Amino acid sequence: MARETLIPSERDLDTIDIDVNVGPQHPATHGVFRMVLTVDGEVVRDLDPVIGYMHRGNEKLPENCDFRQVIGYHDRIDYLAQFNTEHCYVEAVEKLGGIVPTERSQYIRVILSELNRITSHLMFIGAFGTDAGLFGTSFMYAFRDREYVQEFYEEITGERMMYNYFRPGGVAWDVPENFKERCRQILDRIRKGIGDLEGLMVGNEVIMARCKGLSPMTPAQAINWGLSGPLLRATGLAHDIRRAEPYSIYDRFEFDIPVGTTGDVYDRLMVRMLELSQSVRIIEQALDQMPEGPIMAAGMKRILRVPAGEVYMRVESPRGEYGVYMVSTGVDKPYRHKVRGASFCNISALREMSVGHFVADVIMILGSTDIVLCEVDR
Amino acid sequence: MTQEAVAEAAPPPEPGPVVRLLQQAIPGVQFHVTVTPIDECVTVRRDDFLRVMETLFRDERLQFDYLRCQSGVDYLGELESVYHLYSFGKKHSLAVKVRFPTADPHVPTVSHLWAAANWHERETHEMFGIVFDGHPDLRPLLTEEGLGYYPLLKSHPLADIEEWQEDILTAVDQAKKELVAATGVAPVIDEKAMKIQIAQQKAAVITRTRKEAREKGLSAEDEKAAVAAALAKFEEELKSQPQAGAAAPPPMSKVEMAQAKAKVITNARKEARARSMSTEDEKLYVAEKLKEFSAQMEAGPAAAPAPAPKPAMSKIELAQAKAKVITNARKEARSKGLSAEDEKKYVAEKLKEFSAQNQ
Repeated sequence: MARETLIPSERDLDTIDIDVNVGPQHPATHGVFRMVLTVDGEVVRDLDPVIGYMHRGNEKLPENCDFRQVIGYHDRIDYLAQFNTEHCYVEAVEKLGGIVPTERSQYIRVILSELNRITSHLMFIGAFGTDAGLFGTSFMYAFRDREYVQEFYEEITGERMMYNYFRPGGVAWDVPENFKERCRQILDRIRKGIGDLEGLMVGNEVIMARCKGLSPMTPAQAINWGLSGPLLRATGLAHDIRRAEPYSIYDRFEFDIPVGTTGDVYDRLMVRMLELSQSVRIIEQALDQMPEGPIMAAGMKRILRVPAGEVYMRVESPRGEYGVYMVSTGVDKPYRHKVRGASFCNISALREMSVGHFVADVIMILGSTDIVLCEVDR
Repeated sequence: MTQEAVAEAAPPPEPGPVVRLLQQAIPGVQFHVTVTPIDECVTVRRDDFLRVMETLFRDERLQFDYLRCQSGVDYLGELESVYHLYSFGKKHSLAVKVRFPTADPHVPTVSHLWAAANWHERETHEMFGIVFDGHPDLRPLLTEEGLGYYPLLKSHPLADIEEWQEDILTAVDQAKKELVAATGVAPVIDEKAMKIQIAQQKAAVITRTRKEAREKGLSAEDEKAAVAAALAKFEEELKSQPQAGAAAPPPMSKVEMAQAKAKVITNARKEARARSMSTEDEKLYVAEKLKEFSAQMEAGPAAAPAPAPKPAMSKIELAQAKAKVITNARKEARSKGLSAEDEKKYVAEKLKEFSAQNQ
């Protein structure tokens, strides 16, 4: 890799490679995650990610819950994109059961999912700035705006983190009367916040020096490693499930798919920055189109029984492709409930991305994957 | 499985465009086509599996360059490995499934085609015990090494609680049967059931009397009178019977009974395990304990829950009581205007009294 040329290449001295543990409790690992680095001086020669510290059996538990009880587990799988994960699950149940959600509830779902994308990306940008050395400022900017939205979620669902709001066939209850008004208010703030963050991050000397050209990736590599989301788009591939295989009502909105060119860490950051504005665009359109009406499909039973069958439902979560493979045998519980976490696949390529780089850069690379360890371990 | 039953009942679905392409690309391979709400889906035989996957990866018409997801499913006796593929070039997707018996859980790896399969297969290996032949690194990913069981197999219980629930249902059933067989008496008197029984008996009496009356050719009025007489007789008989339900204290509800039984089972198991009995012996031991329990229940519900001896004061309670004694003694001493020395003596005396009482 490019960085290797910077290392003094003399091998006259006797040196040995040593193993260094990073994590599991380490602020730079963004959760309970450990990587065993084999380092030659400052250069990483090998990397072995060790996961599973957060494994809670999120695939076994739903086999003993009825279809409605499973929704809560999805909040806990990706705790930064709860609406997106819930969206995936309820769509999977609806696809299996042939349930058509009401128009209004679909708009509510899309608006909340996109807001969730914004809050998740804000979290990433804040944390990534800290990784890069912009201690505090990026976090403060990001969290100031995130807090507005977080409060808004609380107004709607009553919860700050574990919303449990979507249901097969619709949503749990209707949004407050001032929903559109509040939403527009929040969008204004977010637009301002995006401006602040762009002023801070884009072209920032620290960010440029640390991220530009770090760990580039080709589209072919990314595809083969099963990467998705911003990591995949940073390589220049305009793939977004919202566009490629539109689910829910995403085919009704106009939005661009931001792409990078080289797939390096800087591109990954920029793709996320640009996605913020696209999400705002989608929400604006959705607010304009959002109709009045029922929020739950007619004739929904209290205990759902979906016909036997199977489905692999996927949505574009902020981290990439979030998928649920569900097998039903016609009873009130899923027979098999597999979760394809975007973080799980993204982190599996960490070795590929990191070998040959400095230890300090590996922290940046790990940060740029935007992992949620609960989604990795499930 | 139900899934198979459904597949057999419905006519085999028409293969979609992707499956038709696959059939063209690799002729002579058997495909079992199924339908899912989004993707086309084929099941292939294990012998053809690797050939099919390589064709899917390399063929120009198919170009499946992206493995989105790989999952295992346990169909009780058979395991299934499911691959969800996507093509960035052709923008189409396909699910490929391969089935094999649980006793022989081997399937070729595809991690040399899609690097993404590496971790997916590792996870499926540790969760289902499926061995992906040729996989470079099948170490456990999410759980610790040497776990010794495969958590996502259906044979693995969710937790002890589930085992308990299953056990209790069978145990309660068995205990009931044993009780009836041994004594010929129904174990618990269910008030509601008894009322229903009485009503049924009453109805039978009415029908019988009416029938008799009609056979005798009685008039309608006489028939009514006969029925009333028969009913009065029946009720008298009922009253003269020893009323178990009314005399005895209210019988245990079913839930209580089940809980008590479960306790017996759990305790018996714990004891058996503490004595490191074999599984067979443990079962026998539990059965014996259950029999004892049923015998107790038969002797009378009042006798069953042996009144536990009043528990001795816990340490904390004792300390609290002591503190109270000291405080009271001090107060008394002060109200009597005793000197500090005398106060101490007084408190000590009171404490002595207290400990004597408690022993």
